[in-house]
Amino acid sequence: MARAANHTAEFDAIVVGSGITGGWAAKELTEQGLKVLMIERGPMIEHQNYAHETTAPWELPFGGYGDPDLIARDYTIQSKGRGFSEWTLQHFVNDRENPYETGGEQPFQWRRGYQLGGRSLIWGRQCYRWSDLDFEANGKDGYGTDWPIRYKDLAPWYDKVEEFIGVQGSIEGLPQLPDGHFLPPMAMNAVEIHAKSKIEQAFPDRKFIMGRAANLTEEKEGRSACQYRGICSRGCSYGAYFSTQSSTLPAARATGRLTILGDSVVDKLDYDAQTRRVTGVEVISTKDRERSRHTARIVFLCASSFNSVAVLLRSASEAHPHGLANSSGALGHYIMDHAGSVTAIGLIPGFEEHAYFGNRPNNIVIPRFKNLDGKQEAFVRGYSFQGGASRTGWTRGAKQAGIGASLKEDLRGPGPWQLFLGAFAECLPRRENRVTLSKSAVDSLGMAQLRIDFAYGENEKLAMKDAAGEAKAMLELLGARVVRLTDEPDAGGSSVHEMGGARMGRDPSSSVLNGRNQAHDVANLFITDGSAMASSACQNPSLTYMALTARACHTAASMLKEGTI
Amino acid sequence: MADRTSRRSVMRGALGLTAAALTPGALWATVKAGAPSGLTSAQTEFADQLCDAVIPATDTPGARAVGVTDFVGLALSHGLAGGSPTSLDRVKAALGTGDFAAALTRLDKAAFANEIPEAKDWKAIKQAILMGYYTSETGASKELRYELVPGRFDSDIPWHKGDRAWSSNWGGNSF
Repeated sequence: MARAANHTAEFDAIVVGSGITGGWAAKELTEQGLKVLMIERGPMIEHQNYAHETTAPWELPFGGYGDPDLIARDYTIQSKGRGFSEWTLQHFVNDRENPYETGGEQPFQWRRGYQLGGRSLIWGRQCYRWSDLDFEANGKDGYGTDWPIRYKDLAPWYDKVEEFIGVQGSIEGLPQLPDGHFLPPMAMNAVEIHAKSKIEQAFPDRKFIMGRAANLTEEKEGRSACQYRGICSRGCSYGAYFSTQSSTLPAARATGRLTILGDSVVDKLDYDAQTRRVTGVEVISTKDRERSRHTARIVFLCASSFNSVAVLLRSASEAHPHGLANSSGALGHYIMDHAGSVTAIGLIPGFEEHAYFGNRPNNIVIPRFKNLDGKQEAFVRGYSFQGGASRTGWTRGAKQAGIGASLKEDLRGPGPWQLFLGAFAECLPRRENRVTLSKSAVDSLGMAQLRIDFAYGENEKLAMKDAAGEAKAMLELLGARVVRLTDEPDAGGSSVHEMGGARMGRDPSSSVLNGRNQAHDVANLFITDGSAMASSACQNPSLTYMALTARACHTAASMLKEGTI
Repeated sequence: MADRTSRRSVMRGALGLTAAALTPGALWATVKAGAPSGLTSAQTEFADQLCDAVIPATDTPGARAVGVTDFVGLALSHGLAGGSPTSLDRVKAALGTGDFAAALTRLDKAAFANEIPEAKDWKAIKQAILMGYYTSETGASKELRYELVPGRFDSDIPWHKGDRAWSSNWGGNSF
């Protein structure tokens, strides 16, 4: 029979991680009346206290580009990602101090932010619902195990999340990309309106629509509407985009039931083999390496896909020799990241007399249009494009001949219009793509380093090849001169949508979590970050993580109240 | 000279807060001493000439006047745009003597046609000059317009010849 969790515990719940899902877990659990400890491995960054948020380029030693020597030493992986700059590097991990091992020809690019708020400070803010096309895909084509949930299970939680975080977007009625509760959409510029009309006319299977982004177009509960600065990753004191700091943390703190422990890494979970429950966490201070223990009735792992897996692998015990909650042997396996690249850039002729003012922190999207309505390409599943049009700036001057007063005069005005299209292709879950603990290498705290073995398969490569052909066709339709065309995915990790490793499933022998994000093996352990994903779809995944987290928190809180965990 | 001074004083001001995150000690030592980093006096003199030639003074100050020479030294010493301080020596040798502006125009054209061995050196120098100028206070906010807080998005506004672009068009500047 079920045995109730320890009532003498320090906290009702421990949440490991303070990023997009950790913040949501802290908010939901405290609002359900639980006393919560949220543990963050990095330093505290408080809202409206963001370093360099308003710094001008001329106030930075390297004009915003960053010191190449410093980058070469400490940020070799992080610096290749979007949003990294001299303004924002404090929101990314120091690669030298946070090493990991990789296997495969293209080493996995693990982009991380170890601070309060995690990557919610630097995320791309794109928010897309999944549809049953996505939830049913594994079961239908046999790649991966069937999801134990369907769209109807998540729909009310998508509603709740969108209403709280604020997502702007347009209502489109597309079955493959369900509409949500949107704030008014941001506007397209002249070239995007032109592209929308031409592309939708020439390709009736496609829609060219405003991206759905967690940037406010209307004021909302103490958060300002977007100021169109376009510098989100520095942190936004207006609170105009969703981050832990701007949104979930104030809500959790308002309950008076939240405690935050910063600068502390969870080494492992404590497990009681008799009750078959976790009893708390063992923590290492990154400041002085002191170890401490904290106890709780339930634990939520929200440490990011790979780090949550790592905690479970480090928590191996006699009862769970291959890692906690790993009787299936699936833990660490079936990791994914969207195959992605800046597929194509084209220079668009004309529109010289059109410009725009402000930096829209959002792109356009062409939702998935392949393998719908019973059609079948050489690859399964699909991809979508994100992109946008802008006028080139002064940086074009370094790519062309010309000096002196005429160069200066030319660069005084804007350059030609460019339109870029970047594809995200669905990544199939494959067992050989996995994270494990290194057998020999340890990190600065003495914990085993993670090892990431990852490669894209034939399906992702075929999808990206197809995407390149379609992107080229669309740019040429607009009369563009294509200046860049890529038909292969960037290295895994580059999309920063790493998922899987503790997948959900109906069958405890092949999955780690049940349909409520609860570990099959450990009833009071919930994992609600990207590791829970059993497939990747081709949409940005964060909105789904948030909906799953909110849902799991309500499940866990009622189970606690009922005394079933 | 205002830009050079303000860049340095801000760098000193930032030192206390972010030294660990931003700066190799050697760079700060150079900057605090007030010397342009990484260039010999001959290289500095040549870089001054190049700054004048690439972005001259017009109705706004040119690159040399706002301290871009320092930035070029910094960029070349740290490989910000590729190249190294000796790139200046190679380009100087390739220019030879005679009319400076005419020789540089020829070299610039040949470099972008990839016809000369100094192509990489010159492209790095030119890029460093442009980066230094358009991220300087004058280049970014007087020659171009700098608006940190637009406050709104005007999605389609008319453009007239002579209107200045925004240096804060981060998206347009990133590709």
